[in-house]
Amino acid sequence: MDFQLKPEYNSEKNCWEISVKGEIDIYNSSNIKDYLSNIIQERPCDVYIDCTELEYIDSTGLGALVAIVKKVKHYGGNMYILNTKPNVEKVFKITNLDKVFVMK
Amino acid sequence: MQEKHLSNAPEVIELTLPVNSAYVSSARLTASSISNRMGFDIDDIEDIKAAVSEACIFTISQCLKAGEINFHLEFFISKEGILINLTSNTNDNVVNTVDEDELGMKMIQTLMDEVEIKTENGKFKISMKKNK
Repeated sequence: MDFQLKPEYNSEKNCWEISVKGEIDIYNSSNIKDYLSNIIQERPCDVYIDCTELEYIDSTGLGALVAIVKKVKHYGGNMYILNTKPNVEKVFKITNLDKVFVMK
Repeated sequence: MQEKHLSNAPEVIELTLPVNSAYVSSARLTASSISNRMGFDIDDIEDIKAAVSEACIFTISQCLKAGEINFHLEFFISKEGILINLTSNTNDNVVNTVDEDELGMKMIQTLMDEVEIKTENGKFKISMKKNK
């Protein structure tokens, strides 16, 4: 399944609103990490990731998000994971990463 | 047409994949299709898919260390459930490199009912079972 990532900077709230669609796995997680890392470096602020259309994430995808949350926290921000499907929420819980991110 | 399936003898589906992360999704889709056909519910299917994916990630990392170009998956289908084996050659004692706290390994252990990782005669094998 193709993967799409749509980042939009919300200047009123000073945050990144990023929607993800498809699957984050070993094949694309490294590219996603580099891409998100670059935009956050360009404009450090809170990050909201909308997972409404995220079908699947593996451990390498979680690792990429952990690298990003570290960066966001380094800049004094927070990272929010929104609207996860049950199977995606389950992997955050199994790995205890639901305590690292703000899950909504 | 009379089909013979889910008899006492397990049916076996085999898959050989190149050591290339692009094909992990093929293993995932195969696992999904088989477990769906077996009548697992949607939660169990997601568990099996995720465990197969994590096992592939672990196997690929071992294959890269050993210079292997392929690895193998076997799906044993029986009335009791599904047994999935991933194997490849190795020049390492993989068991010594397993970190139970590593995210992927933690996921496999949680999502499947039985998991075993062993190295034998220059081959390593991950066996995972999900009961019906």
